[in-house]
Amino acid sequence: MRPSSFRYHKAESVDHALELLARFGEDGRPLAGGQSLVPMMNLRLAAPEHLVDIGGLPLTDIAFTDTAMRVGALVRHRQYLAEPRVAHHFPALHEAVTWIGHPTIRENGTTGGSLSHADPTAELALAAMLYDAVMIVRNTAGERRIAAADFFEDAYVTALQPGEMLVAAEFPLPPVGAAGAFVEFAERRGDFAIAAIGVSITVADGRIATAAIACSGAEPRPIRAPEIEMMLSGRPLTDPQSRAAGRRLAAAIDPVGTFLTTADYRKALIGELTARAIDTACARAASR
Amino acid sequence: MTSADRRHQIGGADRPRHIGARVRRVEDRRLLSGAARYLDDIRQPGMLHLGFVRAQAAHARITDIDTSALADLGAEIRVFTGQDTSGLTIKAPAGHDPKSAALPDGHQGYWRMQDSEQPLLADGVVRFVGEPIAAVLAEDAYVAEDAAERIAVAYEALPVVATMAQAQDPSIPPIFAGWTSNVYIERQMAGGDLAAARAAAAHVIRRTYYNQRQAGVPMEGRGVVAAYDPADRVLTVWSSTQIPHLVRTYLAEELGFPESRLRVVAPEVGGGFGVKGQVFVEEVLVAWLALKTGRPVKWVEDRREHLVASIHARDHLHTLTAYVAADGRLLGLEADITVDVGAYSTFPFTAGGDPGMAAKVLPGPYDIPAYAATFRALATNKCPLGTYRGVARPSAVFSQERLMDDIAAEIGMDPIELRLRNVVRTFPYKNALGFSYDEGSYAQALERVRDLVAEDRAAARASRASATTRIGVGVACFIEQSSHGTPDFTRRRVPIETGYIAARVTMEPDGEVTVDIGLQNHGQGHETVMAQVAADALGVAPENVHVRQGDTLTTPYSVGTWGSRGGPLGGGAVHEAALKIAAKLKAIAAHLLQTDASRIALHGGRAVVIGNEGSYVEIRRLARIALRNVDQMPAGMEPGLEAQCSLDGPADGTYSNAVHAAVVEIDIATGKLRLRRFVVVEDCGTILNPLIVDGQVRGGVVQGIGSALLEHFIYDEDGQPLTTSFADYLMPLAPEIPNIEVHHIETPTPRTPLGAKGLGEGGAIGPPAAIANAVADALGVPVSATPLNANTLWTLAADIRAAAETDRDG
Ligand SMILES: Cc1cc2nc3c(=O)[nH]c(=O)nc-3n(C[C@H](O)[C@H](O)[C@H](O)COP(=O)(O)OP(=O)(O)OC[C@H]3O[C@@H](n4cnc5c(N)ncnc54)[C@H](O)[C@@H]3O)c2cc1C
Repeated sequence: MRPSSFRYHKAESVDHALELLARFGEDGRPLAGGQSLVPMMNLRLAAPEHLVDIGGLPLTDIAFTDTAMRVGALVRHRQYLAEPRVAHHFPALHEAVTWIGHPTIRENGTTGGSLSHADPTAELALAAMLYDAVMIVRNTAGERRIAAADFFEDAYVTALQPGEMLVAAEFPLPPVGAAGAFVEFAERRGDFAIAAIGVSITVADGRIATAAIACSGAEPRPIRAPEIEMMLSGRPLTDPQSRAAGRRLAAAIDPVGTFLTTADYRKALIGELTARAIDTACARAASR
Repeated sequence: MTSADRRHQIGGADRPRHIGARVRRVEDRRLLSGAARYLDDIRQPGMLHLGFVRAQAAHARITDIDTSALADLGAEIRVFTGQDTSGLTIKAPAGHDPKSAALPDGHQGYWRMQDSEQPLLADGVVRFVGEPIAAVLAEDAYVAEDAAERIAVAYEALPVVATMAQAQDPSIPPIFAGWTSNVYIERQMAGGDLAAARAAAAHVIRRTYYNQRQAGVPMEGRGVVAAYDPADRVLTVWSSTQIPHLVRTYLAEELGFPESRLRVVAPEVGGGFGVKGQVFVEEVLVAWLALKTGRPVKWVEDRREHLVASIHARDHLHTLTAYVAADGRLLGLEADITVDVGAYSTFPFTAGGDPGMAAKVLPGPYDIPAYAATFRALATNKCPLGTYRGVARPSAVFSQERLMDDIAAEIGMDPIELRLRNVVRTFPYKNALGFSYDEGSYAQALERVRDLVAEDRAAARASRASATTRIGVGVACFIEQSSHGTPDFTRRRVPIETGYIAARVTMEPDGEVTVDIGLQNHGQGHETVMAQVAADALGVAPENVHVRQGDTLTTPYSVGTWGSRGGPLGGGAVHEAALKIAAKLKAIAAHLLQTDASRIALHGGRAVVIGNEGSYVEIRRLARIALRNVDQMPAGMEPGLEAQCSLDGPADGTYSNAVHAAVVEIDIATGKLRLRRFVVVEDCGTILNPLIVDGQVRGGVVQGIGSALLEHFIYDEDGQPLTTSFADYLMPLAPEIPNIEVHHIETPTPRTPLGAKGLGEGGAIGPPAAIANAVADALGVPVSATPLNANTLWTLAADIRAAAETDRDG
C-alpha cells in the first residue's frame, strides 16, 4: 500500500498545468484533492509517472450569471453547502452534496476531481446529469464543451483525453420555482451509494410541468429516465403516482449484482428511492 | 456480601480509595497528544525494510519465482524464499497424548489433531491468498514494495477447498500431505443423561445458525522490528503484539536462540482485540532475517495484508437441538459445531480453539441437565482463524440465544419469561460438563432489562400493523468464562499450557512505586487500573505508581493479555504483590511507632496508627529506611521493597454475566436498519474503574454491532478474497452506533483476590444475538445467519411487502 515512484509537479497556473499535461500525455495525471487518486496510487491501481498538482489553482469559485452557475474545477464539496444560491436554484444538487463521504472528504475533494474520476455512484456526477450540466474542458489547443450525458462514458471513464483538464462545470439555471429532491441509499452513512435518485421538477397550476430524474446504481454511470420524466409531466403535485413511476423505472433497468448486493435488491431499491424522491420533490413544491 | 462490603475487605484494614473510583485513564494524555510511540516509530541504524510477495492463488504449487525484473530496479535487493527458511514454521498442535493427563468428566473421545505447520515462506505450495512466498529486503519500504511487485510467481493450480462442504467432501483431496481428510479435529463433549431428556421432552426444536467470517481490524496493524547486538549477543525484537513473553519463547525454540539473550518489546500497541494474540510467521521471519543479515530489519503490515493474511474469526455453523418440557424448561441440548478455521493451525490456541470453546460454553447461563456437543475444525484454503474479541462466544451466544427465541416462538412463551424460567439461580452451580459457575446475577439482569425495554416492546407490538416500518426488541443473556486458570488449558491440551499472570511491585527509595506486569496494554487501561490497585494496597496515590509492561527485559514471565484476564488476574497479582510490601512497610512503621503492625493502616501517603491519625510515619520515609537507612529497620528484616506474585486463575475460571437488549427499526422497503437503543446490563464482579468498564463495554458492543450487521470477509468460489479494503470490508462507523446504555450489577467473586471477573470481551459477545433477535421480532421471521445487512433484511421482509401488496390490490 505504498505508491510506486512518481514525479511531482506543482502547476503555477492553468496554462502551466495544461503545458505539463500536454508534455506528459498518457503518463501524466492531474492531482486535485487527492481523495480518490491517492488511495488508488497506494493500492497501485494507478501508477502515473507524473503528477501535476492542480490543487492550488484559482478555479475555486461558484459563480452565477443570468443563465447559469459555473463551478470551478477546484471548488471543494463543502463550498456548495456554504453558498445559499446553490440550495435555492439546485436543491437536489445541494442535498446530494450532503451525502458525499465525510467532513474530511468534503473539505478536500473537488468538483473537477469527482467528475473526472467518474465513480458510477458519485453524487456530483448524478447531479450533473440531472441538471444537464456542461463540462468545460481545456488543453493547450483550446477549450471544448461536453454535455454531461456525453461526458460520463462508463465506470471511471470519461470523454477526457490525455492532456485535457476539466476547468469548470456549468449548470444552466432551472426556471424559477423549480423544486427538487435527492435520496440515496448506502449501507453506512458516507459510503458511495448503492443507489441514488435525483429529481427536479417545474410546476404549473399545482401540477408537474416538467420533470427530470437521474439515477445511479442502475448502470456503471448515472442515467436519466426520460420515459418516467414524460410520464410525470402533468400529474398533480398532490398525487404524482410516484409508486407507479418507481415501478416503471425499476422494470426498465438491468443493474448488475455485486458480492454485497443482488441485482434484484438494487432494482427494488431504485424503484423505492424513485418514489420517495418524487414524493419529496412534489411535497416541497406544494408547500411553497 | 455487598460489593461495598467486599471492597472494604480489600487491603485488610485499609479502606479502598482508588479501586472503584472513576479515575481517568493515565494513558490518554500520550495517546491523544501524539506522544505515544508505536512500532512504526521505531528506527534502528542501518535498518532494512521487508516487503512480501504474497500468494495470489488460494491453492497452488509454485512452479517458478522469477526475480529477473529486479535487475533494472537500480537498487540493492535481497530476496529470500521458502528454500532459505526451510524447516522454520509455526507449529500449533493440539490434543496431545490422551493418556498423559486425567480427562475431566465431560470430555470424551480425545484424539490427536491432524497437525499443520505453517512455513515462514511457502514451502513449494501455497494454501491461501496472502500467504508469504518471498521476503524482499531493501533500503526503504517503498523500494521493497516496488521489488515485490516485480517478482513473478508461476503457479500450477491445485483443487481449492473454499467452503465447509468442500472441506467435508471426501472426493476433494486434503490440503496437507499425509492427511486423511480436511478435518483438523473432531471431538465430543457430553454430560448428563441426554436419553432421558429426549424421552421427557414435550418439544424438540432443531435449528441451524451461522456466523460469517470476519477480520479483527485493530486500528494499528501488525509490525515487527528486529536488531541483533553483537556486543552482548542480544537479539531484540519489537513487535506489535499482545503476548511478548510467548513470542520470546517461540522465537527461542524455533530459532534455537537462548531465551536469556532474547528480548521482546511490545511498544505502544494500537489495538489488538485478540488478533495480536498469536505468534505469526512474520515475527519469526523478521527475527531470522536480522540474525541472517546482521542488519536490523523492519516490517510494517499494510491494511490489505492485515485483511487477507493476519487472522480471521468466527465462520461458525451450529446445529442445535433443544429438548424442552411443556412448561418451557430446557431438559437437554445437543450441538453440532463446525468451524472453518482456514489453512493453518495458529499458535497458541490452535485450530481446535474456536470450535472447542463454542462447545464448552454453549450451555450458557441456563440450567440444562444434559448436554452433548460434537465439534470439528475444517481446513480450507483461507486465511487461518485466530482469536478475536469474544473467541467463539459471540457465535455460541448467537446460536444459544436465537434458539431461546425460536423455542419461545414455537411454544408460545414470552422470550424473556422463557429465559427467566431457565437461568441458573443458585450458586455455585455445576453445569452438565462439570464446570462450576461462581455467583452471578443472571435473573436480576434479565429482570432489569425487561423493565428497561418494556416501552420499546409495546412500541414493537404497535408497529406490527405497519407495512413500512417495523420495530423489534431482542435480548441476549449470556455468561462469559474468564480468568481461566492453568487447569483449563491443561484440559484443552493446547500450547498455551498455562494461565498465570505475574506482577512485580517495587517501592523505590523516594516512595514512588513501580509495577512491572506481564500483561500488555493495548487499549484496556491497565496502567490506570493497576496503579489504582497498587495505590490502595500501599496507601499512596495512583499518580505515584508507574506501571510498565510489554518488555520482557523488565516484566516477569506471563502469557500476555487476552481472555479478559487482565483485571481479575493481573489486578489480583498486583494486589497480592503490593500487600507483601505493605506488610513490610507496616512492620517498619510499627517498629518506629512502637506499636503492633496489625494496628497500622496505610493511606494518604502515610502509615498511621489505626484510631490515632495523628500518630504516623510518611510512607516515603519508610521506603528510604527500607532501601537506604537500613539501620533503622527492625532487627533481622531483609532490606528492600520488592515483591512478586504469579497469580494463576481458578480451575474453572470466573463467570461474568450480562444481558444485552437491542431495539431496531427496519424500513421494510429498503431493508435499512436503525438501532434505536442498545442496552447493556452487566455484572463483572468488583468494578475496578467504572469509566474503564463502560469504555470496554461500549467498544465491544460497537464491534458486536459490526458482527451483527456489516463486517463480512468474503471469498469467492476460487478462494479469492473479495473484501480486501475498507471500501468493501465494512466496519461500523459513528453514525451507525446508537447511544449505548450501560447498567451495572456488582456480584464480586470469591475466586479472585479483588472480586473482579473478566470484562474485556463481553461487550462484543451479545450484540449479534440481541440484534438478530430484534430483527426476528420486528419482521416475524426466523433469523439464522449474520451479517444482517440491508440487502439481507430486505429479503427477510419479503413477506411483509407481499402482504401489503395483496392488501393494496385485493
Ligand atoms: C472515505 C472516502 C469516502 C468517499 N465517499 C464519497 C462519496 O460518498 N461520494 C463521492 O462522490 N465521492 C466520495 N469520495 C471521493 C471524493 O469525493 C473525491 O474527492 C472525488 O471523487 C475526487 O476528487 P479529488 O479532488 O479528491 O480528486 P483526485 O483524487 O485528486 O483525482 C481524482 C481523479 O480525477 C482526476 N482529476 C482531478 N481533477 C481533474 C481535473 N480538473 N481535470 C481532469 N482530471 C482531473 C485525477 O487525475 C484522478 O484521476 C470518497 C472518498 C473517500 C476517501
